[in-house]
Amino acid sequence: MDRMNQAGNGDDKLDALFAEYREAFPDPEGSADFMPKMWQKIEARRVETTWVFRRLAQICVAATVALTLLISTVLMPSSDNGSDVFYSGTYVDILAADHAEDFSQVLPVGDVQQ
Amino acid sequence: MLVDFELIEKARSGDDGAFNQIVQAYRKRILGTIARTIGRPEDVEDVGQEVFLRLYYSLDQLRTQEVFEPWLYRLTVNAAYDYLRRQKRRRESRMSDMSEQQVMLADAHQGEKADKEETRRTKIRELVSSLLAKISEEDRILLTLKEVEGLSLKELEKIYHVKENALKVRLFRARQRVLKAFHAGES
Repeated sequence: MDRMNQAGNGDDKLDALFAEYREAFPDPEGSADFMPKMWQKIEARRVETTWVFRRLAQICVAATVALTLLISTVLMPSSDNGSDVFYSGTYVDILAADHAEDFSQVLPVGDVQQ
Repeated sequence: MLVDFELIEKARSGDDGAFNQIVQAYRKRILGTIARTIGRPEDVEDVGQEVFLRLYYSLDQLRTQEVFEPWLYRLTVNAAYDYLRRQKRRRESRMSDMSEQQVMLADAHQGEKADKEETRRTKIRELVSSLLAKISEEDRILLTLKEVEGLSLKELEKIYHVKENALKVRLFRARQRVLKAFHAGES
């Protein structure tokens, strides 16, 4: 306050007040438990972040399982309706059945007779 | 720089001992800046821990040695800003329950308890805090860094990533508002 009284205009007074404010707040050392508390907070944040990721992963897995069940129970049977014949054999069997006559022309006569 | 880049590199690669050394080197300075920025000694350590926590989780984003200190100050500014915003909300809700006279009586009672020197310091703190309360939280921090902490415009430019001229204008306006409140208090 003394410095403020000596100072002339408002700007100087304000500068003096800021200087006194600086002195009124010396740099504190920090208490003995500053570091332990800081590490506790760091650890707590780490656990929190891990928990969030774990929860997110759980939600993703649950959603995937639900989607898989939905597809297998609702969508798959509906696409099967009236089309059993297409899935009764392998692709090669179906191809052979469709082109049975072509094969008979290609194969040697002896084989066809058998 | 209070620490060398090797130490920062070690901390970046997960060496907690190196990080401890960085905190110990900067703790006093950062706590001092926080104390003068927020104006409440009882909450300084909490905000300081938040600053170093943010530093711990953002060290891997640091590119070069030169930007370490501005980076640390930026984290300090952000943490102080968050604190002041929270305090403002809390104060608004608390003050709405008390009349101005009650607040003054409470302050006077608190003053009687402290010794003479501490009372003088408390008065200065309260006076400056009441003046700084006339401007926004952003301007309060900026003005404190310039006028109280004594940071240069170049240093502020690095912290805020804002051109020097823009900072000058902002500082001038903030100072004018504080000065006006100061004159009003004197008369």
